Amino acid sequence: MKIFEEIADEVQKGNSDSVEVLTKKALSQDISAEDILNNGLVAGMNMVSEKFKNNEIFIPEVLISAKSMYSGLGIIKPLLAESNVKSKGKVVIGTVKGDLHDIGKNIVAMLLQGAGFDVVDLGADVPKEKFLEFVKNEGADILGMSALLTTTMIYMKEAIEMLKDAGLRESVKVIIGGAPVTEYYAAQIDADGYAPDAASAVDLTKRLLGET
Amino acid sequence: MESGNIPVLSVNEDTIPRAYEKAIREVWEKGASIRTEYDHPGDPPSRDATVIIIVRNPFGQPRFHRSFADGLGGLAEYVMEVVHGAHDYWVKPLEEILKGTKSKDTRWTYTYHGRLFEYRIEDKVVNQIGAMIDKLSKTGYTRRAQAITWNPKLDPPTEDPPCLQRVWGRLCDDGEGGYIYNMNTHWRSRDLFKAWFENVIALTTLMRKIAEAISQRTKKRVKLGRYVDISDSLHIYGSYFREIEGDRKKGIKSFFETLESRSFEERTWNSDFIKSHFINDGVGKGLRPMLEREKDMPKKVRKAIAEELRLMEEEDYVV
Repeated sequence: MKIFEEIADEVQKGNSDSVEVLTKKALSQDISAEDILNNGLVAGMNMVSEKFKNNEIFIPEVLISAKSMYSGLGIIKPLLAESNVKSKGKVVIGTVKGDLHDIGKNIVAMLLQGAGFDVVDLGADVPKEKFLEFVKNEGADILGMSALLTTTMIYMKEAIEMLKDAGLRESVKVIIGGAPVTEYYAAQIDADGYAPDAASAVDLTKRLLGET
Repeated sequence: MESGNIPVLSVNEDTIPRAYEKAIREVWEKGASIRTEYDHPGDPPSRDATVIIIVRNPFGQPRFHRSFADGLGGLAEYVMEVVHGAHDYWVKPLEEILKGTKSKDTRWTYTYHGRLFEYRIEDKVVNQIGAMIDKLSKTGYTRRAQAITWNPKLDPPTEDPPCLQRVWGRLCDDGEGGYIYNMNTHWRSRDLFKAWFENVIALTTLMRKIAEAISQRTKKRVKLGRYVDISDSLHIYGSYFREIEGDRKKGIKSFFETLESRSFEERTWNSDFIKSHFINDGVGKGLRPMLEREKDMPKKVRKAIAEELRLMEEEDYVV
């Protein structure tokens, strides 16, 4: 449908006002919130994600597109909740304790949301107890942890140990990322995967949840 | 690197984005391959050079490049960190700083604002930027107006010592009864690809604040002159090479291909476009979200940021 293409196009361009207008227009045409989400907003963000992966656009542009996606999402969210639409999976994400850097984590969270995942962003400086609490209470499929410092990456290991002690390790896939983190470190601490950048984190999440 | 000499490069451009692009090309093409403490195992050595960058018109438009490692709201918060000390309260206590790498406290060891505006020496706290403004207001041609960051006691043992070392400024007559404020910044080490641009936006904002303060004090018009940025080691980390080089087989463009595929206007933004994103970028960052989110920020700093917010809402204010 033309309106889906228009929404996706305006998301890519980062035109929040247009996305809002078009989303309302689609609803007035009795198009379901789920279709607007998947065929308009998510489709637009998927294109943004693909362009970002291919180095065609820059980080601030991704965030401007995410803002426009949120402007549409804000309108349809209550309707999605009413119609009990299932997401592609639930991701709990945060930057580990002691670490206040959050840009990488924020981009991953936005791209995941843009890819249709339900994302619970715990922010920065998140203690392991909070990760555990949200993994448990939210029934997370994926736990994503980020660290930008060598001094804070050790808390990823502690969080994984805590999940094991609580008997939750098998129920959630753990992915990690951040400047000092490596694939080797991920294997060492028993994470399920490591992503060197935000776009790879989306691919990794999809792969771990059997979507690709 | 011929006979072990680090290349010395220079860039001279009208605006910040032009200088940024040129510097990346220069360091990429002419920089030496040298390892750094931050390389991952298996990373190629960084591309590195000593570089002097002249920006003739630091507030010339377009002022913002689109390639940097944050969002626009995040950039606004960083500017507040450098200019108004928004994150000085994230610095750990002195006794923890003195433990060096043995400290388990992961809070920061310094901020640029903290060092420039509240430099601690013996039992005194020195506002070096305030002293620069005083000195320049009294004797514009002085060569002594400078502010340092390095603390020889605290910095050598830490994992992450300050990159910025010194800010230096001097006034010249503009020939029309006013002044032109020239500023140089000196950097020990610098991540060109993911930090330089944001650093320069913050430091040139500080440059303007200094000029405005001198203008208020002297009751004379103070225009901004050239901004000069000198780095002992300006580098592109080996871990970024994938982004710079791209991967044709996987359809990933090189950084330079992306630049060339767009017009200059399509890879930059004017200050007018930036303003609303600085105020609130809609994805949780910007001055307004920052004030809402950071409840522990001291009142004095909150007030300064609220004033900045008020200025940004004025039509003719240039960020």
